[in-house]
Amino acid sequence: MSKREIIVLTDVTLITCVVQRGVADKIVKAAYAAGAQGATVHFAKGMGIRERLGLLGVAVEVEKEVVQIVVSEDQVEHIFETMYLAGELNTPGMGIMYITPLEKAATYVPPEVLARLEARSEEPS
Amino acid sequence: MSQIRYGEFLRGMRSRQTVVSYNELTRGGPAPQQKLKLRAIDVERLLAPYLGTRFYEQVRTVVPLALYLMLFQLLILRQDVADIWVIVAGFGAVIIGLMLFMEGLKLGMMPFAEIIGNKLPKKSALPVVLFIVFLLGIGVTLAEPAIGALQAVGSIVEVTRAPYLYELLNNRAGTLVLVVGIGVGCAAVLGTIRFLRGWSLKPLIFAALVPTLGLVLYIMWDPELSKTLGLAWDSGAVTTGPVTVPLVLALGIGIASAAGKGSSSLSGFGIVTLASLFPIVGVMLLSLYVGATTDTQTIIATAQAAQQAGDATWLTRTPVAEIIGGIRAIVPLMAFLFLILFAVLREKLAEAGIVTYGITLALIGMIVFNVGLTYGLAKLGSQSGGLVAGAFAEVGVMPGSPLYSVGVGVMIALVFAWALGFGATLAEPALNALGLTVENLTNGAFKKRTLMYAVSVGVAFGIAVGILKIVLDIPLAWLILPGYAAAVLLTILSSEEFVNVAWDSAGVTTGPVTVPLVLAMGLGFGNAVDAIEGFGILSMASIGPILTVMATGLWVQRTAARRAALRGREAEQPARQGQGVAA
Repeated sequence: MSKREIIVLTDVTLITCVVQRGVADKIVKAAYAAGAQGATVHFAKGMGIRERLGLLGVAVEVEKEVVQIVVSEDQVEHIFETMYLAGELNTPGMGIMYITPLEKAATYVPPEVLARLEARSEEPS
Repeated sequence: MSQIRYGEFLRGMRSRQTVVSYNELTRGGPAPQQKLKLRAIDVERLLAPYLGTRFYEQVRTVVPLALYLMLFQLLILRQDVADIWVIVAGFGAVIIGLMLFMEGLKLGMMPFAEIIGNKLPKKSALPVVLFIVFLLGIGVTLAEPAIGALQAVGSIVEVTRAPYLYELLNNRAGTLVLVVGIGVGCAAVLGTIRFLRGWSLKPLIFAALVPTLGLVLYIMWDPELSKTLGLAWDSGAVTTGPVTVPLVLALGIGIASAAGKGSSSLSGFGIVTLASLFPIVGVMLLSLYVGATTDTQTIIATAQAAQQAGDATWLTRTPVAEIIGGIRAIVPLMAFLFLILFAVLREKLAEAGIVTYGITLALIGMIVFNVGLTYGLAKLGSQSGGLVAGAFAEVGVMPGSPLYSVGVGVMIALVFAWALGFGATLAEPALNALGLTVENLTNGAFKKRTLMYAVSVGVAFGIAVGILKIVLDIPLAWLILPGYAAAVLLTILSSEEFVNVAWDSAGVTTGPVTVPLVLAMGLGFGNAVDAIEGFGILSMASIGPILTVMATGLWVQRTAARRAALRGREAEQPARQGQGVAA
């Protein structure tokens, strides 16, 4: 009985969004407003688009920020769209984003939330 | 209670999606890299943040300073700003010019410095590398925007009162800048050797101070030559600006890391210190040379002859003079960088188009900045410098002066200078960066804010002392010798980190906006109170932060040590430990 308990989340999805440096804050805020609970941002360097924009290419920052947000499958479409619109990704040079299915995730889940979930699953629906 | 699944609710709100298979896009082999067609909104979305952030960056440093000077003039001195629209346009030119220049520097010059710094040490022997570093030191000095201020204020000096100073600033301005450049070049070489060998900065500082202060001791006894001391010490502060520091550092760090010695957290420091001390020696030697070869009568006679001849040829008129100045600043440096890259390294540039764009921007920016320097910074600076003097002394252009009694008036002038120094320094973006570095370096013991305030207070007192020096006509040597004696004492007591940070902070504070403004203000002020020369304020502004930062450093260390001792005793109260060593 002394085995440690791990709470594993299923139905999780990863949204990754690559934007110019300095834009990540805006994207993360929009994702929060749409229901995301956290985000990881790291730096990267991008290439490919500047050459195709001609002189305007200088306006595109080479340094990028990669925003990664784990969301539930129910939320994913809504958050994905919100982030797309917030980042104005329909302009060339602004970035790219994609969804990756995840098998499992594990993190801290508040005990009261767990208790509520367990209570609900015991009730006959 | 009706239940709706959240997912279904969201699906109802969803916007229209068009699904395209990526296979469709990539079908038919590798597509040629074609240019994209942009809508107007795309251009706007791309350009607005690009231009906006860069514009705002400069506005943030320039506008508060200009507003402060103008409001002080209007409210405390009750004088209208003369030629206000010319000055406003001048400041606009400063903002645009700096914005273009900084972007050009980043895109057009930094790639060179990085490639050269990485590749040169692998291909050439150390003496060759050091020689190139030396030449680069001269090149970057010519390209430093603030260096133009020396020439711009040169015309304010009166030839009869300080003939050697006039000679240096007007007829030998080119030589003066070259000597300053040689000083920076030597500093870059020595700083690079320091990176490679991991020398401590302390002995280097002492070794550099011996000839510097020795020359001061020698020159201060010559009544004519001693008037050039202020210029010599101020030119040290002028050199360490936005071109020199990043370019020389990129090279030095590249060389050090190629030798496998670039990992020390302190690498990067020290060059700035040496680059502000060596030019002082150079300018003092130049003034000794001028003093030995020319006598004052000849200078005065030539200058008066030139003035009578009416020297405003088309070459010295706006905008031709500024364009020539801009080309003279950028082209030698770029030609030199190209030569090294293609002739010595035989490398190609990765993004030639963007580099060309950067160089063009830097050139245009320099020209626009020079126009702004003359019509904005120098004009407003000398105007308010002259009017501030009207608070306590009689000034010709200001009816009703002195406005206040001598005591109150001098106090107002000092408070004005103090606040100017404090505000201008705190707004300097380079100081913010230095603060971050220092906080990391000391593991948070020396907070960023602490450093920023220490430096700003140092500069503020420095500028106030500089004004006082002009009011009371104190020879600059009397201030420099005790000031640097105190600095030496603190250097002996302080640890290596704080010595590095403190001596470098002096160079960091003097940006391309502050330097011309303070120089022009000092000279205008000096003329108004009938002082012989108005230089020296910047040199006081350099020694100030050295003293305050090292003193703060000692204080931080002592409190940290005391807390550590206390914590050892109160080991049974571990809850308090997390509160750290915040000063």
